[in-house]
Amino acid sequence: MNPFKNPRIWLWIAAAIVVVNGFFPSVWIFFTSIKGEAELTRIPITYWPEKPTLQNYVQAFREQPLGRYFLNSTIVAVGSTVLCVGVASLAAYALARLQVPRRNLIMSLLVGVSMFPVASLMVPLYQIFVELGLRNTYLALILPHAALSLPVATLTLVSFFAGIPKDLESAAMVDGSTRLGALWYVVVPLSAPGVFTAAILAFVNSWDEFLLASTLLPAKAMRTLPVGIQLYQGEYVFPWPLISAALVVALVPLALVIALFQERVVGGLTQGGVKG
Amino acid sequence: MMRPQPYRRSFGDLSERTLALWLLLPAALLLGFVALYPVVRLVYTSFFQYQLTLSPEASFNGLGNYAAALGDPRFWNALKNTALIVLITVPGALVLGLGLALLANLPFRYKWPVRLGLLLPWALPLVFVGLIFQWFFDSQYGVVNDVIVRLGGERQFWLFKPDLAFIAICWTIIWKTSSFVALILLAGLQTIPKELYEAAAVDGATRWQAFWRVTLPLLVPSILVALIFRTITAFQTFDIPYAMTKGGPGNATETLAMYVRVTSIENLNFGYGSALAVLLFLLSMAITLVYLRYIRGAED
Repeated sequence: MNPFKNPRIWLWIAAAIVVVNGFFPSVWIFFTSIKGEAELTRIPITYWPEKPTLQNYVQAFREQPLGRYFLNSTIVAVGSTVLCVGVASLAAYALARLQVPRRNLIMSLLVGVSMFPVASLMVPLYQIFVELGLRNTYLALILPHAALSLPVATLTLVSFFAGIPKDLESAAMVDGSTRLGALWYVVVPLSAPGVFTAAILAFVNSWDEFLLASTLLPAKAMRTLPVGIQLYQGEYVFPWPLISAALVVALVPLALVIALFQERVVGGLTQGGVKG
Repeated sequence: MMRPQPYRRSFGDLSERTLALWLLLPAALLLGFVALYPVVRLVYTSFFQYQLTLSPEASFNGLGNYAAALGDPRFWNALKNTALIVLITVPGALVLGLGLALLANLPFRYKWPVRLGLLLPWALPLVFVGLIFQWFFDSQYGVVNDVIVRLGGERQFWLFKPDLAFIAICWTIIWKTSSFVALILLAGLQTIPKELYEAAAVDGATRWQAFWRVTLPLLVPSILVALIFRTITAFQTFDIPYAMTKGGPGNATETLAMYVRVTSIENLNFGYGSALAVLLFLLSMAITLVYLRYIRGAED
């Protein structure tokens, strides 16, 4: 019997195409990272690692302050996420629940600001943070990263807040809670999925951002992972053992966040996109 | 001192408005400081001759920087490269993304591997994608050349020849951005009611006809959203070419955003760099206005 008459086979092929397309670059860089330098500089190249080794990882941490880059990325990503989601929650609550003059204009402005080209903002931000003496401090990157994720976070949260029955808040306020108390104890827990989605998107955006990070935190001790790893190219004749190992280290937290919260991420992405 | 039930009063119009303004204040301050004030300052600086390597003083130059841009072949080259990237990678990502979305929408028993196959490329930092694909396109040890040689072709110096470097960069951008397009389109596909396909089948439509007559028309709103988002971000392309070629060989792959950076941050020519950044800003905002008009239209 011809196996291609079986629709299950086609399902497997379809799944394989999507999975291989999505995973191949990451898997390839992982394979690269566990090949020794001798194996990497051989022609023809090997596909499956012949003698897996962790040597590149040892080198990556020993020769470069990779741990420090990791710490910097974490501080900036967590700091900007907390700031962004905190500020966005307040604004989104007002937009979803309270009488805000010119509400539609504000929503449109938010969409507009989220489209600002980072490369354009980079020039004045550089000047501003140099003048304030804040260049090469975490704050110089936390503030712009929080601001860049703020519009999408706010719009995501507005739609979540709008879905929570007003009666619950009214009940809390009748019981003597303040409006802010109602926000914190009733609305926030109920919209935890939305807050979470906004937080993940903000975290990923900050973890990935390069242009502002390289402009505002260029000092070696302050570099984030993308900035630090990108610069290996200029420092080594054959940087790939080090780059590949460092990339894998930088990708692990990202892959974990994505794998654990995939449905949230997909929901947040498509909602922010379609609803604007 | 006891205050009698101040909370009830907050339902009143006036204090509700005041509360709303207080809640909006932090967001306004943050966006004002890091987005709006910088834009004002950017436009202001663009009217000045201001290069730190020449003089610490800024002198008013009117529209001189803009006139200089119009006569600057490197600006036109960067604009051409940016436009080419938009024209090639946006449709490319749309077609690849649509294909991936259609495949991912099939009725798999386990959805997570396919979903992760779309999410992982989306989440990868652009710079990392640039680095990984630079390794793919390595002329000696790259997997692309290995496949070409195995198929009987010749080794190519991908990132060292202008045209090949441009192709490699577009390929990389299409791969990276098609996952985002696929996620948006997949969400759109999942809102199409199954009954429509059943009705089409009853009417004797083939799968191909069902795709053209049912799927595609109903997917138009999602396609437009993906198209507009991709176009705006494509105009701002920086990370991938920067990681792969730094704009080289020569300036063959330099985009507008890269030229802005070289001018302002590396050469410290803030006046001219600001003018270039304003032009990039205006391009992005023009497309954003189209987008805003579109969602307004969709809401009505």
